[in-house]
Amino acid sequence: MLVRWLGRDRAATAAANGRGPGSRERTPLGGPGAEGLPCLIDIRQVVKAYETAAGPFLALSGVDLQVNTGEFIAVVGKSGSGKSTLINMITGIDKPTSGEVLVGDTPVHTLSEGRTAVWRGRHIGVVFQFFQLLPTLTVIENVMLPMDFCNVHTMRERPERAMDLLDQVGIADHAHKLPSAVSGGEQQRAAIARALANDPPIIAADEPTGNLDSKTAESVFQLFEKLVDEGKTILIVTHDRDLVRRVTRTVTLADGEIVDEMVRERSKVPSLPASQENRHA
Amino acid sequence: MLSPRWRKVVRDLWHNKARTMIVVLSIAVGVFAVGMIVSTQIVLSEDMALAYSTTNPASAYLYPDDFDDELVETVRHMDGVREAEGRVDWLTVRLKVGPDEWRDLAIDVIGDYDDMRLNSIAPVSGAWPPPKKGILIERQSLPLTNANVGDLIEIETSEGKIRQLRIAGLVHDMDNPPAPFVGHPFGYITFDTLEWLGYPRLYDELHILVSENETDQEHIRAIADQVEQKIKKSGRTVYWTWIPEPGEHPANEAVQPLLIILGVLGALSLLLSSFLVINTIAALMTQQIRQIGIMKTVGACTSQVMGIYLGAVLIFGLLSLVVAVPLGALAAYAMSGYLADLINFDLTGFRIPPQAIALEVAVGLIVPLLAALYPILAGARITVHEALNSYGLGKGLFGRSLIDRLVEEVTTAVRTLSRPMRISLRNTFRRKGRLTLTLFTLTLGGAIFIAILSVHASLLTTLDDALTYWNYEVEVNFSHSHRIAQIEREAMRIPGVAEAESWIGNTGRRHRPDGYEGPNIYILGAPADTNLIQPTLLEGRWLLPDDENAIVVNTEVIKEESDIEVGDDIVLEVEGREHTWRVVGIVQGIMTGRIAYANQPYLARVIRYVGRSSGVQIIAAPPEDVSRHDPTYQSELAKTIKAHFDSRGLQVRRTETTASIRETIEYQFGIIVIFLAIMAILIALVGGLGLMGTMSINVIERTREIGVMRAVGASDGSVVKVFIVEGIFIGVLSWLAGAVLALPIGKLLSDAVGAAFLEEPLNYTFSTKGTVLWLVIVVVLAALASILPAWNASRLSVREVLAYE
Repeated sequence: MLVRWLGRDRAATAAANGRGPGSRERTPLGGPGAEGLPCLIDIRQVVKAYETAAGPFLALSGVDLQVNTGEFIAVVGKSGSGKSTLINMITGIDKPTSGEVLVGDTPVHTLSEGRTAVWRGRHIGVVFQFFQLLPTLTVIENVMLPMDFCNVHTMRERPERAMDLLDQVGIADHAHKLPSAVSGGEQQRAAIARALANDPPIIAADEPTGNLDSKTAESVFQLFEKLVDEGKTILIVTHDRDLVRRVTRTVTLADGEIVDEMVRERSKVPSLPASQENRHA
Repeated sequence: MLSPRWRKVVRDLWHNKARTMIVVLSIAVGVFAVGMIVSTQIVLSEDMALAYSTTNPASAYLYPDDFDDELVETVRHMDGVREAEGRVDWLTVRLKVGPDEWRDLAIDVIGDYDDMRLNSIAPVSGAWPPPKKGILIERQSLPLTNANVGDLIEIETSEGKIRQLRIAGLVHDMDNPPAPFVGHPFGYITFDTLEWLGYPRLYDELHILVSENETDQEHIRAIADQVEQKIKKSGRTVYWTWIPEPGEHPANEAVQPLLIILGVLGALSLLLSSFLVINTIAALMTQQIRQIGIMKTVGACTSQVMGIYLGAVLIFGLLSLVVAVPLGALAAYAMSGYLADLINFDLTGFRIPPQAIALEVAVGLIVPLLAALYPILAGARITVHEALNSYGLGKGLFGRSLIDRLVEEVTTAVRTLSRPMRISLRNTFRRKGRLTLTLFTLTLGGAIFIAILSVHASLLTTLDDALTYWNYEVEVNFSHSHRIAQIEREAMRIPGVAEAESWIGNTGRRHRPDGYEGPNIYILGAPADTNLIQPTLLEGRWLLPDDENAIVVNTEVIKEESDIEVGDDIVLEVEGREHTWRVVGIVQGIMTGRIAYANQPYLARVIRYVGRSSGVQIIAAPPEDVSRHDPTYQSELAKTIKAHFDSRGLQVRRTETTASIRETIEYQFGIIVIFLAIMAILIALVGGLGLMGTMSINVIERTREIGVMRAVGASDGSVVKVFIVEGIFIGVLSWLAGAVLALPIGKLLSDAVGAAFLEEPLNYTFSTKGTVLWLVIVVVLAALASILPAWNASRLSVREVLAYE
């Protein structure tokens, strides 16, 4: 099913690269499909402008980006550089002013708000900096919520599936506690379990460790690495340079444009002393 | 097992108990009002009709010259008559209720207590039938006799005979009006006792029941006409024929309009409560925006989000039903019981009418859903991006609109305003939609509250005006007629009497151009230049001393005889003789019934009653420090007058003071006022809940701002003050608008109440007391509504407040 969903014409993706007036020359390692993997996300000439009280603000100006299946991508940049906006384009949380966003063979930019919600629920797991668990639901109920909305798994299977996921993220013991009764790290693990509830191929995380201490952040990051090993494609927005070293590709944004891309072999980095962690870009 | 989304619904409701309570109460108040009134209407109508039907009510009542059983038997055998029965209705004696204190006692005489065929009375306790020299008292009349069953009561007949009767028992009679309404008790005796009192064994009231088409008033009229002709053929005059609404309790005519007016007020309180629902649900959606964003992020579509919140509203509705249905039923039972007691019948027992439950369920579930639909739709349609980017500080934009700029300029211009005060005033206009709905709810609530009190004031003004019409203090009726000159001369000899005037009068019926007879009209013959009555002339002119057949009619006559215009000639039948009268004027009728005023000398000739009268009206001349209207003074004067006339051989049958007329009318008005007051309290409750809800929501929404204020040095007191001032400001704004709106609403309501109970609009008086009272209520409510949430918020630490989500 996943193969069929992902089976779009890579040639078209390749042909789309580097087009248009806003296109940029890429680093040699940054080309699409360089590792022979199928292209999963294809962002073409995406512009996003906001109207603010102070006048129009260009959050993204003609961004092109292709993401292959199984990649672990970090989006970095200063505050206001357009990182979160770029992730929001992929998750469909926000729509481009112009340009195209294709995820699998779905033109996300053309979907209505309602269809985007259903599509996102099945195909993308979203993790936020502030966890965003529903406060009146227990941890396991939060995990079951996407299954409920998207009608994935039977009613009987859902608790079992949710418990499995909580077990995977190491907080099965806290399954029946309310979010307010567990730590920040545990809440973020619960949020990751929730993101995985419908078994989406893509996880998009906006500063998932930004609100965690270094030790907890490391454990959360290891969780992401494990998911990549299992075949998930992960995009994270982060300021943490140490974590950035551990992803397969780093996309650097400045003033709404991709100014740098760097591809590397992923390797596990041992945890650093807490004093040296969490250095922000 | 509940799915997570429904668990969220339930837990959200439980988690926000205060908010849930406000919404549930808001809906419940409206449902309660509607349920209470509809249940009362159903229970009262059904039980009243059932109770009345058990008495076998007559189709028509005829009042001819005295008659005996032979005439009754003749009528019984007439075609179209199923049943006929004679009664004695004219007998009114004076009952001693205290040392030197007397009250009228109306006595009915029933031929055979064990064979009552129409308008049966039922034994309640004691003897049945009453023994000779014994009397049965209507159960509601007993308190007015100042006696108990078994006691001897002293009466004075119209002939001045003093007799003692023993109260042998109590009965229940639905045919006579309840004693408190008319201000005197009712009693029941046999012919033997009647004879013992010195009166002949003759009836004066004939009840008939038609044999078919019992509910067809035209058919009944036709049969009654035949009976009337038959009686006339026996040489008797028929003075009046009354055909009541078939099968309907006489009080139904007054009860139904009351319930309709209450129903309209109930519907208004439901409308107000639905505004509260809109406001509260809109606020709930604002609070839930981030959660909506999260749910949409994990796959919820708009319809699912809507489903969740509509589900919550449905639960609010169900909870409100749990509160409102039983309370509404209990209140309806209490209200029905109170009314049944006033009207003098028994309810069949406590019950909740299924129709009322169905309406309550429909209203309790559908109205909140409809009210919540827009805010839920607006909240659920928000994009994920908008939802996740909303944040706690500065919700509700301020400064862009014209109103904002105006408020800013005004608050800046007034230099004496402190900063917290400026925050309060500017904050008021931040959520304009919510402010509008809150103001609308409070304004309408206030307007209705003031309008209801204006109806009360109008009732009292109408009463005062009516009593101004009666520009005398004591009315005296003699057992026999006397020469007017003698009566007036004797009256003027009594200390404390300033003026005395004897009138004459008789009952007539109009012969309408279509051949039918109209209802009874009292023709009052007073001197043309009398100042003892002061009617308000609406059209034409008042009587002149030289007038012959000139007549002035009041508006109550015009209501029945709508074709009459000034200048018309009309034919009135008086004592079997027809006379033509020219209508020269129309005056305002004020609770006086249908009256036609004629010049006394001419009327005296018409009714063959020249120079004589059986009554006199007295204007008092009280000492300087006593008011003419003082009830005690009037009562004492009436005793003096009676004693004087009795001593001079002018036997007084009864005296009546205008203070006692006022007391009786005030009692009747008091009933209307009680029900209107219940509705006023309900409306005030809805308004208060509205303000409380708005202020709680405002505080909750601005919790983070409170943190910021405290971080920059605001004390607990300053924070609380900001919200209290805002609440009071909203309250005062709504009060101003409500006071203005109350003018037309009060007029409408007062016209409706007047039309329903007096058959004419009340003399409208705007209640300034009500306006001031509502200001006090709204300010106190505003302060209370703001103080609690603001105090709670001010007690949170800055850290907690800034972390508030």
